[in-house]
Amino acid sequence: MGIIKDRKGFRVIEYLLTFLVIISLNFALPRMMPGDPFLHYSGEVDEVVAFYSREQIQYFREYYGLDRPLLEQYTTYLKELARGDLGFSYYYKDNVNSIILRRLPWTMFLVISAMALSIALGIILGSYSAWRRNKWQDNTLYTVLIVFSEIPAFLVGLALLIWLGAGLGLFPLAGAVTHFARYDSVWEKMLDILHHAALPILTLTLARTGGIYLLVRNSLGTVLTKDYMRTARAKGLKEFRIRYLHALRNALMPLFTRIAIQLGALIGGAILAENVFSYPGIGVLMRSAVVVRDYPLIQGIFLVLAIGVMAANMLADLAYKYIDPRTRPAASSNQDTIKLEVKMQKGET
Amino acid sequence: MMDVKNKEDILLNVNELSVQYKTDNTTITALDKISFSIKNRENLGIIGESGSGKTTLAMSLMGLIGSPHKVYGKINVTGKDLMSLAEKDKKKLRWKTIAMVFQNSMDVLNPVMKVGHQIVEPLKETEGLSEREAFLEAERLLKLVGLEKYWKDSFPHQLSGGMRQRVLLAMAMSCSPRLLILDEPTSSLDAVTRKSLFEMVRDLQEKIGFSMLVISHDLSAMKDLTDKMMVLYGGEILERGLTREIIEEPAHIYTRGLINSSVQAFPYKDLWGIPGEAQTEVKGCVFASRCTQALEGCSEKKPYLEQVFTNREVACHRGGIVDLIRARGISKSYKVQNTIIPAVKDVILRVRHGETVALVGRSGSGKSTLAHILAGFLQPDKGDVVFDNQAVKGNWPACKEGGIQLILQDPFSSLSHRFTVEDALLEPLKVNKIGSLEERIARIKAALKDVQLPADDLFLKRHCSSLSGGQRQRIAIARGLVMKPKLLLADEITSMLDVSTQANLLRLLKGLQNSSGFAMVFITHDLHLARKIAERIIVLHHGEITEEGSSSYVTEESCCCHTKELMEAGL
Repeated sequence: MGIIKDRKGFRVIEYLLTFLVIISLNFALPRMMPGDPFLHYSGEVDEVVAFYSREQIQYFREYYGLDRPLLEQYTTYLKELARGDLGFSYYYKDNVNSIILRRLPWTMFLVISAMALSIALGIILGSYSAWRRNKWQDNTLYTVLIVFSEIPAFLVGLALLIWLGAGLGLFPLAGAVTHFARYDSVWEKMLDILHHAALPILTLTLARTGGIYLLVRNSLGTVLTKDYMRTARAKGLKEFRIRYLHALRNALMPLFTRIAIQLGALIGGAILAENVFSYPGIGVLMRSAVVVRDYPLIQGIFLVLAIGVMAANMLADLAYKYIDPRTRPAASSNQDTIKLEVKMQKGET
Repeated sequence: MMDVKNKEDILLNVNELSVQYKTDNTTITALDKISFSIKNRENLGIIGESGSGKTTLAMSLMGLIGSPHKVYGKINVTGKDLMSLAEKDKKKLRWKTIAMVFQNSMDVLNPVMKVGHQIVEPLKETEGLSEREAFLEAERLLKLVGLEKYWKDSFPHQLSGGMRQRVLLAMAMSCSPRLLILDEPTSSLDAVTRKSLFEMVRDLQEKIGFSMLVISHDLSAMKDLTDKMMVLYGGEILERGLTREIIEEPAHIYTRGLINSSVQAFPYKDLWGIPGEAQTEVKGCVFASRCTQALEGCSEKKPYLEQVFTNREVACHRGGIVDLIRARGISKSYKVQNTIIPAVKDVILRVRHGETVALVGRSGSGKSTLAHILAGFLQPDKGDVVFDNQAVKGNWPACKEGGIQLILQDPFSSLSHRFTVEDALLEPLKVNKIGSLEERIARIKAALKDVQLPADDLFLKRHCSSLSGGQRQRIAIARGLVMKPKLLLADEITSMLDVSTQANLLRLLKGLQNSSGFAMVFITHDLHLARKIAERIIVLHHGEITEEGSSSYVTEESCCCHTKELMEAGL
């Protein structure tokens, strides 16, 4: 039992440590960037516009506490963070929490839709390929998907934008909704949102499907050669049962960790895609925050994204343990065995 | 009328079944025209080394060999022609008519499904059981194989090997099949678990009344579970008969090799595997390349199963293991000062190719006399000896290659002191005018290597008088080996040696026998030694054979007083 507790404890400490490292990096990184929040106030990179006078800059630095020693700034940051306060944006003159909360749903909408689509597509195409291993259907799918997953997401995005958006005019070029539009119904509004999100989601989905497809294809290919598949066939089970209850369930095990790991990359992709499509999510916000060196906003965005990725990893860990009985290792399988043993003793006596 | 009844009783009939595995550019024949049938409630065993096609046979019976691999021939189960059925109808047959206990491996059960669910799955699907009914059925089946009912909620990785085997059995029982295939049922089990599994399978058979096809390389599984047995090698059946009889007296060289490799058959003997590797895709007999009695024609033409005696069929051009020497009604007496002393009385004896027979008896029991008669050095008063289908008159078998060689008890007197090692070894070749000088030298060097002595010139020039007893005895053996004998008569060859030298020499001799395949008559007064090296033991007392049988039978189940006396005296 001691070992079990230790393991769990170790996991918690591991997550806490990761979190602390993230916070510290979060604090240090913006300050390591060349430039100054007030110097670059309204300037693009390389075109420094001195908006404020020297005195004014001095005043702002003092006002926002940037003239204090770094250690003091750090402890203040931690204290505020502990209260759940991400700070006050220099540029937007607003609470970072509320800025992020306004933008986050858009990004989450993109990421979650793209993830769901790419998982669904990856599983369907991957298993289709595995059942037809080395036939022409498999070969074609394999080539096409590998090509797509190797092209960077922003390039695919640009191509789509130019072709479907600008060229054919099928999709809007920017934004998440039509500005100043009046909707007659909720449906119309939803349709408008989907219309705007279609290209970014398509871009992200295209970039992500390849990896999942490959994983499912290979994993299912391995599962098909396992002894228990032969057992299932020998039992005369229906094809549906053999394919989905016996084979696919085993093949999808590795997918959970893979999705969690990919989430980081997916968020990175979303940031790029948002900028390509001028989609008002956290990615566009981050870009402008970096340009103007808005320390609190940068820190806030980084933190939210990091927590998101970490939470996904943690969830995958837990989900995997739930789904694969073999990886409830020491913990629950031991408990099961103990329970079984207790039952057995009772049965015997 | 009888015929019709017989036909109805047949559950499975396999006719000229062939299976070919196709890979990109090769075709491997895994089974080659196998025919057999199983009656209701009959248990048939299939034994063979790994790669002999055992599992392929099981897979083809379940209809599980799909494209691109090819299956030819006919499989008839309960009157249905399996090969002509559509996949959908094959599915109906699987598990309900033929179920299988798969070879126990980590992966044989689905790792993410509860055991109970996997057990009732096929039944649930066909019978449309409710959750509740399936649940009770799983508990019933687990109880049937002696597992507590709560195991149904466990996952495969939580079971021990023995428990997994029981779960596999319960799973196979779920649809009460007519034919149960057991694939290596004992491979991962300890002796105790194995025994209880056998008992359980037999009990289940009493209750449910299925037939069994047991696939194994384990002789004890064959012995305990089957009545009839087939020996499979390279995808072909080499021998077929009643299990007990085959184990007691194998008729094919390969079968004998398998049995000699088995701990269960010979608990006291050293184990000797069959040298060489199995070959497939050959024109002639599949075993020819490893067979020690193969003739030239064997690798040209395929042998077919033919009856050699009652209840036994063998696929061998030579009709199975040939009798190398047969002696009938041998009697011999010596005349000492007007008294006639009978040395050997009416002895009947047979030595088969490649076999080791121990001739055991006290001193003066007529062992050496018999050996000399067999070799043709002594004329018997009555009776005749036939060696390799030719009557032994005079010492011709000793003069030719592939004949009989005699090695004597005392190496100090059997090798002349004045001879060098070279002289001693060259002598038989010189006398019999075999080969040129170079060939002779090459041959004696090979023989010296065989007996693990140095083959350099220095050693060849040494005088026999300068060698130790063990070395001399090895020289004597080498002298026999240069003639490439088919039968070696070893007359108390270790009695003058210390135990360590004796052990080395015996291992050496068995090793040589295993690789070159000569038969051996090992004459000794030590029954325990005989048990260690011989397959068959003949006990001689006052010139008469008092007992004869397989070495485990003679040493364990004997009811002959004299044998028991010898046994106890040796201990």
